[in-house]
Amino acid sequence: MDMDMDIPFPDELELLEEDFHLYEDYMEPEPPEIDDEEEIPEKEPSDSPIPQSNSPRLSSIASNSVTDSSSVNGLKRLRSDDADAPMELVSDDAEPSGGKKSRTENSVVETEEAWLRYSPPREKNSTVEEETSLVVEEKTVFRYVTEIDGDFMPITAPDSDERVYAKLGRFGDKEESKKLDLKERHEGIMPENINVLMERAEKEALAKTLEASYDIQLDPCPPQGPVVQERLWVDKYAPSSFTELLSDEQTNREVLLWLKQWDSCVFGSEIRTTSEEVLSSLRRHTAIAQHHRLSGSSFTRKNKFQGRRSGNFQDSTFLDQQNSIANGSQDTLGKKTRLPSPPEQKILLLCGPPGLGKTTLAHVAAKHCGYHVVEINASDDRTSSTIESKILDAIQMNSVLGDARPNCLVIDEIDGALGDGKGAVDVIIKMVSADKKAEKENGSKDQLGKRSSQKGRRGASLSRPVICICNDLYAPALRSLRLMAKVHVFVQPTVNRIVSRLKYICNQEGMRANSAALSALAQYTECDIRSCLNTLQFLYKKKETLSAVEIGSQVVGQKDMSKSVFDVWKEIFYTRKMKLQSRSGGKFRNVCDKMEHLYSLLSYRGDYDLILDGIHENILQLNYHDPVMQKTVKCLEMLGISDLMGQYAMQTHHMNLNVYRPSCIITVHRLVAQVQRPNIEWPKSNQRCRALLLEKTDNLRSWLCKVPPIISRHINSKTLVEDLVSPLLHIISPRTLRPMAMHLLSEKEKDNLTQLVSVMVSYAISYKQIKSDPRLNNTRHEATLDGSVLALDPPIDGFVCFKGYESCHNVLPLPMKQLLIHEVENQKIFQGSYGKLEHISEAKKVNHEGSEDKPLRGGLMKTDPAALSAKNKVDDRKSYTAQHRPSHPTSAFNGNSAPSVSTKSSGAQKKSALGSSSFFDRFRKSGGKGSQNTDSIDKKEITLERDLRPFLFKFNEGFTNAIKRPVRVREFLL
Amino acid sequence: MLWVDKYRPKTLDQITVHEDVAQNLKKLVTEQDCPHLLFFGPSGSGKKTLVMALIRQMFGASAEKVKVENKTWKVDAGTRNVEIELTTISSTNHVELTPSDAGFQDRYIVQEIIKDMAKNRPIDSKGKRGHKVLVLNDVDKLSREAQHSLRRTMEKYSSYCRLILCCNSSSRVTEAIRSRCLNVRINGPTDDEIVKVLEFIGKKEGLQLPSGFASRIAEKSNRSLRRAILSFETCRVQQYPFVSNQAIPPMDWEEYISEIASDIMKEQSPKRLYQVRGKLYELLVNCIPPEIILKRLLYELLKKLDAELKHEVCHWAAYYEHRMRLGQKSIFHIEAFVAKFMSIYKSFLISTFG
Repeated sequence: MDMDMDIPFPDELELLEEDFHLYEDYMEPEPPEIDDEEEIPEKEPSDSPIPQSNSPRLSSIASNSVTDSSSVNGLKRLRSDDADAPMELVSDDAEPSGGKKSRTENSVVETEEAWLRYSPPREKNSTVEEETSLVVEEKTVFRYVTEIDGDFMPITAPDSDERVYAKLGRFGDKEESKKLDLKERHEGIMPENINVLMERAEKEALAKTLEASYDIQLDPCPPQGPVVQERLWVDKYAPSSFTELLSDEQTNREVLLWLKQWDSCVFGSEIRTTSEEVLSSLRRHTAIAQHHRLSGSSFTRKNKFQGRRSGNFQDSTFLDQQNSIANGSQDTLGKKTRLPSPPEQKILLLCGPPGLGKTTLAHVAAKHCGYHVVEINASDDRTSSTIESKILDAIQMNSVLGDARPNCLVIDEIDGALGDGKGAVDVIIKMVSADKKAEKENGSKDQLGKRSSQKGRRGASLSRPVICICNDLYAPALRSLRLMAKVHVFVQPTVNRIVSRLKYICNQEGMRANSAALSALAQYTECDIRSCLNTLQFLYKKKETLSAVEIGSQVVGQKDMSKSVFDVWKEIFYTRKMKLQSRSGGKFRNVCDKMEHLYSLLSYRGDYDLILDGIHENILQLNYHDPVMQKTVKCLEMLGISDLMGQYAMQTHHMNLNVYRPSCIITVHRLVAQVQRPNIEWPKSNQRCRALLLEKTDNLRSWLCKVPPIISRHINSKTLVEDLVSPLLHIISPRTLRPMAMHLLSEKEKDNLTQLVSVMVSYAISYKQIKSDPRLNNTRHEATLDGSVLALDPPIDGFVCFKGYESCHNVLPLPMKQLLIHEVENQKIFQGSYGKLEHISEAKKVNHEGSEDKPLRGGLMKTDPAALSAKNKVDDRKSYTAQHRPSHPTSAFNGNSAPSVSTKSSGAQKKSALGSSSFFDRFRKSGGKGSQNTDSIDKKEITLERDLRPFLFKFNEGFTNAIKRPVRVREFLL
Repeated sequence: MLWVDKYRPKTLDQITVHEDVAQNLKKLVTEQDCPHLLFFGPSGSGKKTLVMALIRQMFGASAEKVKVENKTWKVDAGTRNVEIELTTISSTNHVELTPSDAGFQDRYIVQEIIKDMAKNRPIDSKGKRGHKVLVLNDVDKLSREAQHSLRRTMEKYSSYCRLILCCNSSSRVTEAIRSRCLNVRINGPTDDEIVKVLEFIGKKEGLQLPSGFASRIAEKSNRSLRRAILSFETCRVQQYPFVSNQAIPPMDWEEYISEIASDIMKEQSPKRLYQVRGKLYELLVNCIPPEIILKRLLYELLKKLDAELKHEVCHWAAYYEHRMRLGQKSIFHIEAFVAKFMSIYKSFLISTFG
């Protein structure tokens, strides 16, 4: 059986829509068919709908076909929705004559799947019969053969002797009759009524469905049986047609228009064959024009008229729809090649607070446009692996059996669970983006009827409308979806609209309620129609009446609403002007109400820390009257208490203590709330503080790690900031140090420089080039360095740079910094090669070295620099640096150091007193106190031997003056 | 190297400031009867120096050969695995670590890692099993759970592992731990002691110290030897030869707090409080601990305050510091103190001057 013929002609859709209107008109008078289906015995649904007489036959045929279709659809267990109410009517209408379907359905819901397994063959039968019936419907049934001037078929009703003759091939050609055949079959495939029942069956206790379905008739008298009353009003009065929707009309229309834009893609060929009609219908949809447009095929119209005449207008509506679908699909089969053009944004995102009818709108609109709704909601498994296959199924598959309408995917509560819901979002986004690429090639293959062959190649392209529904548009999970979806934000319907609807329902149910109370209720629930209805039904059951004043305190359940945190802050800082209630009692009541309201608001929101931060951030910006700051003190005290409680609750895991936290906030509200609107800011500064603190602590840590353990073990990050940073900054940037060539420095200055370098090395400080604002740049070197400055690395100067405070630290001039970088680097290299020696016995070694130095230095003076390097006399660091620093002539350097060498020879103590310039002096000094000089004669030999030929080198990037001399591996291992 | 590091005594014999303590410790070591030790005292008083000298006394020069390890420990904590990054400084015979670095996960360090370290006994040169020393810094910052887990470790491995605990305040170390240790209080050096040290350094560096200069530095140092030596060196760098009335450069954050204090004294209003908040945030961001901010702020405020208010203000400072330690968001409490001060001061001004 082909299942791809459910494409309605747009003109027929128009008719369909009009039928809804008509149907609405009909709603006012009592529907004529009152059910006597109780008496009708259960029958096997596969029986043939043979007309019994001429007059009732038409209706019975129609309803029979409906019945069949519904039963067929039942087997698919389609997820249904509240949008099906009119179809329920249909089913009920059908029951008088057909009667068997819903009975079977409802009473044996459990077994229906088994039951349905037999449906395919049965359906075959019905197809034939329905063909007949449809022919009959089209006024081709005659009592006498002579009245027919073509092929005909005799039909005899089983329970009467009457025989009629049905005219065949009214349109003369075989193809047409086949079309009819298909169409009829689809007549029989109307899913709605069964869907409704299915839904109901799931929602309520299964056994109660049957009675519940009878309840549907809009009879003003209260339902009879006690069981009947169990049906929720929310479901009972759910809007069934597009025009019944309570939500904002603009939104409704736009959703419908969006769905219509899919037509060309989903119901492909129409755009070719009847593009005029499509366009006009779109136009009409947006304009909600009411006039009847006779663009449909004649038989459709006729069909409808017939249906209406017999009172089964709803049936005919769906016949129309199904007919059109069938026709459309036939066309599709005929012409396969065409480019589908789905709308720009392939996803529709509906968002809004609960109870405004988002889901209802999605279902109604989808149904209205001839889709079969597949809903995935939070109750389903929504991990990305399962959701993907589910979505693919929904989008690319059609039911093999029966219902051949294309699917429309409705993902409800997509913002629900962060972790799981994200899966769905990801899958959809992936599909949309994949779709954009592969659209062209895939497009036509996505058509109905070709799934099986091309499934693999189709990939994950999105070829069916997807409607996502969420409550919070700004949920983090939806961030990416928001960008590519067409977003519609639901606004609250007007109270009047709600009230009129409520009133209608109250009338229907025979409940007395005055408008004032209803509007109070609507306001109280913030126009949440679902909540209103539930409340009403609850009151009705309790035989109570709704009174306007009692709304707040009555049994009416309070809606669990959580507002955005901004709203919460607003509530805290804002107080309404007290209405001039002279009674103090009234005022007291007001205060109580407000406190209660705030309490519930805060506890629903829950996120106390954020709320506290927000209060803290904004409280000082309010202008409350506070001459001696007592209010401020009190408020901050309250914040403190709340903080204490929070911390205690966290530490001891007594989360139930959190219930006391709102009271602190309410106190704050009582103290500072103002009548004027507060200007509330997001609490950035606290978060910024936290982030920056983390960053700085990290900086400190990493700095401490770089400092050698001999020093770092004595400081922790606290003392570092507290005691060390400020003096250190002073010490490393002495004012006395002048930027000039090494050889021009006086002895003392050189001493200072070496001292400074050693400090910087021992605390792992250096300068590095960073891009910075040019203001700080040294003017002389601005041109060469263009924008980059030398800053301390690690940036320890950041620890004393407070906003609005200028520290008195000297900043070294740029050439000085460059010199320091160089020196520090050299020192580091030296230490790196030297470190091992230091480990062995720092003080001793140095002591010996100092004495050994003397002759070497003497020689050093005599020789020229080149000879020095050739001779490898590099144990002295200074001569080493001199070699590698062309700017400072070695000879001059050595000349300078010569006096110190001579003093050195005279004795360690004396040297230190004179403040000599050698780097090793400090080692000697520190080591001088230690008890050494004992056993290290042999050690001395070793170190001396090694130091005679140290292998120190520096790689100059961009230069080729590599050092070439024979070395031993041992020297690398120094 | 800074003078602080350069002139830090390396052995117990060299120690001058807490000489009595040092000699007692030496006796302990020589008698091979060293219990667990808990050193407590203000920062800059020489706890760590004593500990290092003690370790050197125990193990000789080999204790100075240390390596820094930054290791990630994986601790199996029942339902989940916890990964803790920890920096340790260790030699063959001792390990130094700061368990409170791990924040709220410090108890895993105490329960697993310290236990693990304590178990491994070093083997000395004669093949005899020596004992090991664990140095734990900032014990007072450990959470209660961690401290409770510590005491079992202390008993169980006491035969071959000694714990040396360092902290600023013994009041935040549980009674149980204190009773298991020999408590050594290292008070801050007196001004005279500081002056002695500074003169010693000056002699070593060959500096001419004008009379009274060292005592001025000592006065400003808040009885912290570290700070005194650092300011001394700073002065040396800034100006030498010294002048007896030479300016001693202040700590930047202290300067900033005194600015805040004068802000508060100038105007008392929510608006001013808002400005103060911004400055407090600045301090907090730069890793200045909130309790130190509060303490310093009180100090600065008291300097400018009328005598009859001092008592009350001190009371409230203590009150809010207590709150701050219990709570989580320190800015709330510091700010509450500032607001309270403003309120007190303003009403005082109104009542006095009308």
